[in-house]
Amino acid sequence: MMLRRAELWGGLFWLAVGAFVTWQGWLLELGTLREPGSGFVFFWLGLIISAFATFIAIGGVRGGGPLLGDLWRGARWRNVLLVVLALIAFGFMFERLGFVICSLALLLFLMTVVDPVRPVLSIPIAVIAAGGVWYVLEKMLLVQLPKGSWIEDLILF
Amino acid sequence: MDVIAGLGQGFLVAFDPINLLYCFIGVFIGTLVGVLPGIGPVSAMSLLLPVTLSGTPESGIIMMAGIYYGSMYGGSTTAVLVNIPGEAASVVTCIDGHEMAKRGRAGPALGIAALGSFVAGTFSIVALMLVAPMLAKVAVAFGPPEYFSLMVLGLSILSFLTQGSMAKALLMAAVGVVIGLIGLDQINAMPRLTFDRLELVDGIGLIPVVMGLFGVAEILTNIEQQVRRDIVQSRIGSLWPSKEDLKASAGPVARGTVLGFLLGILPGGGAVIASFASYAIEKKLSRTPERFGQGAIEGVAGPESANNAAAGGAFIPLMTLGIPPNVVMALLLGAFVIHGLQPGPLMMSQNPQIFWGIVASMYVGNIMLLVLNMPLIGMWVQVLKAPYKILFPLILMFCIVGVFASGNAVFDVFVMIGTGVLGYLMRKFGYEAAPLVLAFVLGPMLENNLRKSLILSEGTFDIFVVRPISLVCLAIAGVLLIAPLLPALRKKREKVALDAVE
Repeated sequence: MMLRRAELWGGLFWLAVGAFVTWQGWLLELGTLREPGSGFVFFWLGLIISAFATFIAIGGVRGGGPLLGDLWRGARWRNVLLVVLALIAFGFMFERLGFVICSLALLLFLMTVVDPVRPVLSIPIAVIAAGGVWYVLEKMLLVQLPKGSWIEDLILF
Repeated sequence: MDVIAGLGQGFLVAFDPINLLYCFIGVFIGTLVGVLPGIGPVSAMSLLLPVTLSGTPESGIIMMAGIYYGSMYGGSTTAVLVNIPGEAASVVTCIDGHEMAKRGRAGPALGIAALGSFVAGTFSIVALMLVAPMLAKVAVAFGPPEYFSLMVLGLSILSFLTQGSMAKALLMAAVGVVIGLIGLDQINAMPRLTFDRLELVDGIGLIPVVMGLFGVAEILTNIEQQVRRDIVQSRIGSLWPSKEDLKASAGPVARGTVLGFLLGILPGGGAVIASFASYAIEKKLSRTPERFGQGAIEGVAGPESANNAAAGGAFIPLMTLGIPPNVVMALLLGAFVIHGLQPGPLMMSQNPQIFWGIVASMYVGNIMLLVLNMPLIGMWVQVLKAPYKILFPLILMFCIVGVFASGNAVFDVFVMIGTGVLGYLMRKFGYEAAPLVLAFVLGPMLENNLRKSLILSEGTFDIFVVRPISLVCLAIAGVLLIAPLLPALRKKREKVALDAVE
């Protein structure tokens, strides 16, 4: 039961972060009190993070807080996973495919797979939103958005 | 006389047609994001930060400020009609505002929210105008130890007033400072925690972090639940409160205004805390506290006034000390910096048109908001009916575009996704994002002032206690930090949250 406590795992995660920050601070050199080095603040912050994390983890060991499973009970976690994966795919394809195609694909995916909307609504919304944002940013605000390397290849060809 | 001359100069700036337009766009978008649950002023401001680059500094900052105080107005509409807070400061308004709506009194609830907000907003602007120049004169004498101690106090207050565990809030603040320090060391230019990535040399951007922790995390949290909006279907009717309503609300509005303004000034304070505190006070002062939670108009008037007054008060530490007291002001600081301006004690003398222009535009914006929120309430109700499954993909796309446009780098989009997932998990495990973001912004200033102080004092910590301002700040911070260990203080801290939730 103790190993399924959310507080314990949360505390252990931050303990690892704290230990890492402390170590990095040590590597960056602490300097002296007269002339603190680049790692001075990192080192002490790492120790502070570790101390609070230990306190939280101990609270979990003592039986406080919910179980890990309780945090996702009844939640539509599949939606969360799909959105995160879609965002990651968007990030990787953004420069290759360009803003318009990527945004269209993202919007249609979210409105078709994650939380379905009737195509008669989702398609025009996706087209107007992606096209509208592109027009406002590129033409009115002169913000350069990725056009897509495939278009550049096509032009070169 | 200086104040009147300054204000005159400010109105010249505010009435410039382009600034009027920016002000209108700001308060309109602010009301819109306040009305829409799932996107708050922080996300909207980060989204529009790159847009401010296309105009003059005063135009951009007038618009950003408008989004902030506009969202305070708009948030009440959703709270009253749907029982969902449009933004965090309206949580308390849901309690009695929605009860009033269910009993067919949505009109007076919305009306008193708008009127209270207008009174409080106007008061806070007048107070800002009078207090800021005085504080700026004092702040000139601040040195690194005072700045360091003030920032420690700000983070301590924010951690003390969070509703969850204080240990978690302090941990978040420490993590925020660490993330804020990634990049080149300001003193000797040594790269820190950059892992040989060129993108990290300049540090992690504020916009991707804020959009991730607030925008993406909010969406991930919402889409895992079946969002059900129970919009009050009955006719809203007249928005003008009755004589009895106005009489009952006068005291709460006055108290909420003063309290909100004072809490807004405090580093670490802000609109959310002000609204909770106002509700708790009104309930305590009432002869019939049992009406609270059953549709008491005082429970709407007080908190709504408090959160608007706090929004005005929060400008004081930013404008006079250059220290943002909350996350929204941190973003505003970002807007100043993007335009090459540094808010602080010298701002009023070096850039008077900016300071007074913002102050004057707030008067104008407040009147615009009254017009937007009273006669146009029907339009906002229609906006509320837009289904979330259509809204969230659009919000997500705007987040990506906003983040990309701010730095023209795909790396920032990945930072946003990473912090979005982190923010979602933090919400699940009960860690609040606000201390992290505030500490992220204050981190570099905090470290710089600590190291400068130690160099000045030749390595002794006495410098922090021999200076009175620094000593007072650290003493208060110390009391707040040990509060959870003292049963009496711990009870008081828990009571602030409980009173409001009850």
